[in-house]
Amino acid sequence: MKKQSNFFKNLKSAPLAICFFGFLFGFMILDMAWPKREKSELEHRPLEQVPAFSWQSLFRNEWTQKYDKYVKDQVAFRDQWINLRANAEYFQAKTENNEIVFGRDSSGTMMFTKFYSLGKNETTYRSNADAVVRFAERHPGKVSFMLTPSASVVYSDKLPIGIPLADENHYLNEIFSITEKSAQNFDLRAVFEQNKEDYIFYRTDHHWTTYGAYLAYEQFCKKNNLTPFDLSAHQAIEVPDFYGTSYSRARLWNTVPDTLTYYPLDNPMTVEVTGELKPPNDKTDGTMYNLKALDTRDKYSCFLWGNNGYSTIKGNGNGSILIIKDSYGNSFVPFLTENYAKIGVIDFRYWKDNIEDLAKEYDKILILHNFQTFYQDNGIRKLNLNVK
Amino acid sequence: MVFSTVLFLFRFLPITLGLYYLSPPKMKNVSLFLCSLVFYSWGEVRFFPIMVVLILINYICSLLMERYDNQPKIRRIFLILSIVGSLSMLVIFKYSNFIVDTINTLSGLALPHLQGVSVLPLGISFYTFQTMSYSVDVYRRDVKAEHNIIDFGAYVVMFPQLIAGPIVKYRDVSNQLHVYKNRYNLKQIEDGITLFIFGLAKKVLLADTISGLWHDIIGNYDSTGITSMGSVGLANASSGLVWLGLIAYAFQLYFDFSGYSMMGIGMGKMLGFDFPDNFNLPYIATSITDFWRRWHMTLSGWFREYVYIPLGGNRRGLKRQIFNMFVVWCLTGIWHGANWNFILWGLYYFVLLTIEKMFLLPYLKKSKVLCHVYTLFFVLIGWALFVGNEQGVGLQLLFTKMFNFSGGVSPIYFLRNYAVLLIISVICCTPIVEKIWNVIKKNTFLKISVLAILFILSIGYIVGSSNSPFLYFNF
Repeated sequence: MKKQSNFFKNLKSAPLAICFFGFLFGFMILDMAWPKREKSELEHRPLEQVPAFSWQSLFRNEWTQKYDKYVKDQVAFRDQWINLRANAEYFQAKTENNEIVFGRDSSGTMMFTKFYSLGKNETTYRSNADAVVRFAERHPGKVSFMLTPSASVVYSDKLPIGIPLADENHYLNEIFSITEKSAQNFDLRAVFEQNKEDYIFYRTDHHWTTYGAYLAYEQFCKKNNLTPFDLSAHQAIEVPDFYGTSYSRARLWNTVPDTLTYYPLDNPMTVEVTGELKPPNDKTDGTMYNLKALDTRDKYSCFLWGNNGYSTIKGNGNGSILIIKDSYGNSFVPFLTENYAKIGVIDFRYWKDNIEDLAKEYDKILILHNFQTFYQDNGIRKLNLNVK
Repeated sequence: MVFSTVLFLFRFLPITLGLYYLSPPKMKNVSLFLCSLVFYSWGEVRFFPIMVVLILINYICSLLMERYDNQPKIRRIFLILSIVGSLSMLVIFKYSNFIVDTINTLSGLALPHLQGVSVLPLGISFYTFQTMSYSVDVYRRDVKAEHNIIDFGAYVVMFPQLIAGPIVKYRDVSNQLHVYKNRYNLKQIEDGITLFIFGLAKKVLLADTISGLWHDIIGNYDSTGITSMGSVGLANASSGLVWLGLIAYAFQLYFDFSGYSMMGIGMGKMLGFDFPDNFNLPYIATSITDFWRRWHMTLSGWFREYVYIPLGGNRRGLKRQIFNMFVVWCLTGIWHGANWNFILWGLYYFVLLTIEKMFLLPYLKKSKVLCHVYTLFFVLIGWALFVGNEQGVGLQLLFTKMFNFSGGVSPIYFLRNYAVLLIISVICCTPIVEKIWNVIKKNTFLKISVLAILFILSIGYIVGSSNSPFLYFNF
């Protein structure tokens, strides 16, 4: 026992050991007592919870893996640790972090999605384009197809020098050359190029701004002889301090936040098939905007209450239109209330059946996606699900 | 369990060290043994029995060798039995499907793969080599057989060196295992902490980050295939980019493996054991011969002691020596993985080392710069062979890309993005870092500050990274 006490006495002469073990044990205790979170708002994903123990999952090697992930996800100061890493990367003068590329812009760093040429599903975009063609052939004269280019196409001059992003123009040309066989095409590159001085893409989010969506909507009206929604006749509400999904990934310390704009409209909306909206706890208030989302980090989800399987909106115009969209459609759809009496909105990520019956109910159909989802996500094939 | 995880750093390590330090002297090996078993089983519980069987075979065989000390034949039988026991584990898990594939290719048969051996038990290549060294040493009477099965088990499954070495021989630690009082002192523990933090920083801050460059080219893969859109694809890369990627891979491999070894050695010291060094700045080597004296030293040492010298070494003439080298390098190659490219890689070094031995070495010694260029060039080619089998690579494509000097995605962006990291990596391959550290460590405050910064940064990188591959998992 004497030896032991000597050992502890000597500790004083070992400041490194004291610091190290102090930190190791101290942080362990702090970490165990640290409040556990359901989800990370900043990362926009659910965090791993304590895995339920069973011998079966232990022997299948699942329990330990989940436990590993649980400890990592719930670590004390998780957000701060991630920021520390992001800052350390920034001070190494890196031009990217966590799949987000930093572009230079006079009004702050512009964030782009790192999208290189080797793809996960290299032929998906072609089969998606073919699916659009087949669908449009079955519904002749009714189908429009709109594909939004990425911000990195419009603002290619702001990208870091020499970055080998995929040649999106090449893919867009190919896709449009396929879909023009039977659908009305909307290639937005020219109009975005003309208006690139305006605020059409968020700097910190991968979506287009409400104004970007409006420019696209204007094109749609022009080709279909509709009178567009008059921006000047409506009140615009600006929501500052929007830190979008790209920021959540990259966590750049000197990020200039975006401003999100929306036009308050009281057209009623019903969510028929939910997706991100999870009843009974989550309920809409019957409008198109979830204003509560504007107080959270994920402000873009205020449009149409996020992505849901199928929603219908009552508009002020005539006729009906069905939008088959990804999240880009959410800020686009409200403008359509000006022109149609009924607007249906489908998101294939939360819609499981075929849409033939539904398509027949509507006078017009607009397929609206951004390039990166269209390239990778094979959900579009549901256009022809169970159709002979 | 992997060292560079929150779970290891802030659950396993403090609890294990706490139990170990607080255990009464006689119980220290027990707590070490039990904690190490948890560590081993964490990754794959089903492999727990393998460890138990392996410990028992070697423990019992060695005891019997000692028992029949004056009956050479019986001793030899037990030696063979223990070696077959260790080797068969390795062969079944690591090589059986490779052997089946080879037979199928050669004979045109379609023999099925062995079921249940698709996952390699953690560190099997390391601990089977350790148990073999123990039994051989007992047979040679270099060490006494261990009578206490807990002490022996604690040696075999000791967590700091279990999964990635260094390959510790039983005789390196047997004395310490039987020191019960004052096994460790504070100076040794502090040295261990320093090594551990440096190793962790090497692994997390350098290896895992520089690996991004290589994976920007070949892509990130999991069991379902490529996982993100963030890669250019080897086929699209220019030759310049491929070489840059290969350099990044060389950095990654070195920092990953040597960082892991350093953490192992550091934790060994915290527990009161002095493990042998495993790396000594391999990329400043002046010849391939020199390189292999600096890279994975405990593996080369193992092959020298238990294969090369028993075969006669260099004492039976040049022809025999070259044959012995051939055997050693075939084995070194295949040890790194059950694939032809690893055998090719081993043979490649056999050829280079033979050439150096025959005539090249004296010329190399005369040059100051050229010998470094020569060594690094051939080491890089070696790594190309080594990595050639990885998903997204392909040996033929890689070598075509390296030597046809074709255009494609240029390296400019990557040089720019990774510039600082590449410079730091180069510096960390030279003796400069240690020289600076020797100055810093004289000032206690400065020393602790530097270590604290490295440790905190490493935790940030561990928490913030989405994935952190560990290359030597497959070995």
